[in-house]
Amino acid sequence: MGTPEATPVALAASNTNSRPLATLPLVTLNDLLWLLYVYPIRLLATILPRWSLYALGKLSDPIIQFDARRRKARAARWIAQACRTTPAHARRIASESLSNGMFRTLDGLLLLRPSSEKMLRCTAIDGIQHLERAIARGKGVILLTGHFWANRIALRYLASQGHAALSVHNLRPRNKSEGRLGKLFLKPRVAQLQKRANPDQVYVQDPDCSLRIMRRLRAGGLVALQIDARGGTSIEPVFLGVPWRIRSGIFELVRLSDCAVVPMLCLGRSSGFRIRFDPMLEIDGASSREAFMSANLPRFLAVVEKQITENPEEWRLWNN
Amino acid sequence: MEQLMKDAGSGSRDTMERIRRVFIESLNLNLREEDFSYETKLDEAVGLDSVAVLEFVTALEKEFGITFESERLTIVLVRDLKELTDYVDERTTRCRGASAGPAGEDDPA
Repeated sequence: MGTPEATPVALAASNTNSRPLATLPLVTLNDLLWLLYVYPIRLLATILPRWSLYALGKLSDPIIQFDARRRKARAARWIAQACRTTPAHARRIASESLSNGMFRTLDGLLLLRPSSEKMLRCTAIDGIQHLERAIARGKGVILLTGHFWANRIALRYLASQGHAALSVHNLRPRNKSEGRLGKLFLKPRVAQLQKRANPDQVYVQDPDCSLRIMRRLRAGGLVALQIDARGGTSIEPVFLGVPWRIRSGIFELVRLSDCAVVPMLCLGRSSGFRIRFDPMLEIDGASSREAFMSANLPRFLAVVEKQITENPEEWRLWNN
Repeated sequence: MEQLMKDAGSGSRDTMERIRRVFIESLNLNLREEDFSYETKLDEAVGLDSVAVLEFVTALEKEFGITFESERLTIVLVRDLKELTDYVDERTTRCRGASAGPAGEDDPA
């Protein structure tokens, strides 16, 4: 499916679908899939066991792959170049990324259950000592990652283990497959559901966004930020081999708060996922905004690029 | 704005002028101080990039040698120039009291 869900992002202006509303079709296949998700499937998910929900997902996978066939073809070319792999393997990765998205979206419904924490099976947390060392600095921690499908379930699990992290989302993410029904009606509904599943979040569109993040960091808490969120106005580095306009706010947050930055990687499904923390990143201090960003941007991006190229089928943005 | 400044005491008036100066400098606004509405400009800054607000707040903390209490670090406070001025005055007094007297009551942010 496309992604009418609120995507975790860094900080600045929204990343909206650039097509004017009037030019969008009234209903698309993507909208219909989301309509099924928001109503009948969501209701079924309150009673169905996880395996049957996944079976439903498996049945709908061919429709989702068909709906995204053009985006998938474009994504495969990009994957082949960015991951230095064969076209056939790249096509498989593009398909797997779509399927993974669908299963994690179904996982999102499981998170709405009151008993959801019991359903989250974390198989391993590697490098927790890196996180604990960063927390011990007492200036807050930014968990640096990319748009991985398992982020939401992993953050929910970490919260249940006493490591609640504020996550940052985009209320109006880009979805090229949506119609007016999706944009006006379904997207806000999905965002509501996601907020219900994980209330510890803030939208980049909130005027309070950066102040809330700062509050959390000053209290010594955790904030999960995804540096590969597209948008913003100021910088366009090369990312995975293509020019990628990113939001620069994350660098301002790090500079102004002096917080620690710990790379985090979450992979898998609710039925079996793992989380990895890497050692704190060394931050090059600089007094000005520009100098700080140019000193640290390559390191931050390299971390996430490595995460993506090592686990390409888990990254969400290939097919966007 | 002038009315606001008339309402404020002399200490507050000075504080308000300093806040407006910090606002212009931290947001790199190319304006003469009397030319703009604080609330409008702040809303624009929030719309463009809410990190600008953060930069403004940290610049204020530096200018006045204070730290905002965590629960007061909100857009509601920052957007209201009068309330912000009162708060900065109060924090400045508290911080002075804390550094002059024995153990201050000032709580860490």
